[in-house]
Amino acid sequence: MEIRPILSALMRSKVALVLIGLQIALTLAIVCNSLFIISQRVQMMGRESGINEADTFTIGSLGFGAAFDIKTSIQEDVALLRSLPGVADATPTNTTPMSNGGWSTGINLTREQKTSTAPSAMYFVDEHGLNAFGAKLAEGRFFTADEITFRERSSVDWPPVIVITRALANKLFPDQSALGKQVYLDTEGNPNTIIGVVERMQVPWIGWSAEDGPDAEFYSTFVPQNVAFGNFGRYLVRTEPGRRDEVMKAAEAAMLKSNHSRIVREPRTIERIRAEGYQGHRAMTIILIGVIVSLLAVTALGIVGMASFWVTQRTKQIGTRRALGATRGSILRYFMTENFVITSLGLALGVLLTYGLNYWLMANYAAQRLPLVYLAGGIVVLMLLGQAAVFGPATRASRVPPAVATRSV
Amino acid sequence: MLKMKHLSKVYRTHLIETHALRDFSIHVREGEFVAVTGPSGSGKTTFLNIAGLLEEFSGGEFWVDGVDVRGMNDDQRSRLRNEKIGFIFQGFNLIPDLNLFDNVDVPLRYRGFSAADRKRRIEENLGRVGLASRMKHYPAELSGGQQQRVAIARALAGSPRLLLADEPTGNLDSLMARGVLELLEEINRQGTTIIMVTHDPELAARAHRNVHVIDGQVTDFDAEPQLRVPSGNATAAVA
Repeated sequence: MEIRPILSALMRSKVALVLIGLQIALTLAIVCNSLFIISQRVQMMGRESGINEADTFTIGSLGFGAAFDIKTSIQEDVALLRSLPGVADATPTNTTPMSNGGWSTGINLTREQKTSTAPSAMYFVDEHGLNAFGAKLAEGRFFTADEITFRERSSVDWPPVIVITRALANKLFPDQSALGKQVYLDTEGNPNTIIGVVERMQVPWIGWSAEDGPDAEFYSTFVPQNVAFGNFGRYLVRTEPGRRDEVMKAAEAAMLKSNHSRIVREPRTIERIRAEGYQGHRAMTIILIGVIVSLLAVTALGIVGMASFWVTQRTKQIGTRRALGATRGSILRYFMTENFVITSLGLALGVLLTYGLNYWLMANYAAQRLPLVYLAGGIVVLMLLGQAAVFGPATRASRVPPAVATRSV
Repeated sequence: MLKMKHLSKVYRTHLIETHALRDFSIHVREGEFVAVTGPSGSGKTTFLNIAGLLEEFSGGEFWVDGVDVRGMNDDQRSRLRNEKIGFIFQGFNLIPDLNLFDNVDVPLRYRGFSAADRKRRIEENLGRVGLASRMKHYPAELSGGQQQRVAIARALAGSPRLLLADEPTGNLDSLMARGVLELLEEINRQGTTIIMVTHDPELAARAHRNVHVIDGQVTDFDAEPQLRVPSGNATAAVA
């Protein structure tokens, strides 16, 4: 291998070496960090919310006029929805996973706490909540009808019983069962006893409380109350498998017909809520993929351009090498090795830049540490890209005839 | 050392055929110093390119050091060239980004010598041309005469049997040209066969024998040579 003389010759063309080396280094840094961000987003988008998404939809009601009574409306609407053919169950609810709107609170283990132990999203549901969402109960029980109350704007006290998710239970009571334990949704109020643990229920906000780790997006609490603020009511309906779209239309028509003192808000499937909820992440993923592809293409073209220029510039030199005994293979190897040296130098700098960028993202955007496998993958990809990019010009160089050495121009 | 019989070289395009060499025959014996002369476009460089295995020929027969080169592929010609032939070019053809040591090292690396052997050969041959102290210098830091000396060291480093020189003093002033020529004569006296292409009659007169080429054919040559007479008498035969 001619690495030493190649390196020595390259050191005399520092500008080209620095420019292409920097390009490779920057590409490595951006590609590795972008791939890591993409993989995290893809992982996030692929997470299960813990509810039945295929057969569920939400529908809302906004009352108007002096005669409209929200409590009556909620009771009538939910009874109407449950009575529709094809409906498996329905519940009033204030929100759904991934809807990006809802109610949260800090949960305390003692009344004296200044800082809460964990944040939690609040799902206000009735005794049908668990079944309507299609969530799974892991321990204990869900609410009974006699535990359900209305939460009005003036309500201060919280119900004596709550159901929480396993993720929240593990956070509040690590290595022990949360069942029967008491917590405080409000340190100035009465304690709330945990009567059940639900396997999984995603919070409404995507990327919520990222500093508490990925599990925080499953810190949810079910509260046995129907929210009776203002004139708005929201319901979650689960249908029999495969009947969602049909039931959705029937539900809208039935609700419109049942009460003329309100507007029925457009029904939305949970699948649509998911798609809209992750829209930003999907867009970011597509943009980052575009950035990666563009950067790799620009880097490859840069290498092709530089190598082509050097082949043209060194035609006489190549002819001389051929005249001095270099075979075509020797010339091909020379240019491939030269590219290997340049790419290696760029990648060495790129490793520092990659972790520098990762550190900056960690410090400013709560990113996680870049796993080594992304760096290793990036290095392999760029090395192969460099070799592939230089192969064409190197092949052209190997075809320079040795007789060029004796030409005067 | 070098023998061509009825050799021809035709350059073809889709419009015309150009006969650069026709019925070209020459026999250069080991130890000779032959000057090939002729006007521009006469075929001197084509002869040199074919003699140095830099180009293929169209017809005829050709041997280098007893090896029949007909039918050799590109790699075989490259290896034979590397092993048996040294080149000196009019424009020196040193690689500007390599220092003198690495320039002389170029053909040795292709030969596959060990690092220690290469180092010994480089130092020995740069010393032979009087540039041992400037091994770390770059070609641009040398005069034209010194650059040609480096090129000679590079040509000799692999111990070739045949040295081909293409107008070796063409880019030098008379003082430097004399120095380079004296060096070539000394190399020849030590046993290396030299074929030098030149259009300079004074230079040609210093060779043992002259071969004159016009329109791709040998038109004139010196009488049957006597082997290696230091005074410059001819030692080659044109067959």
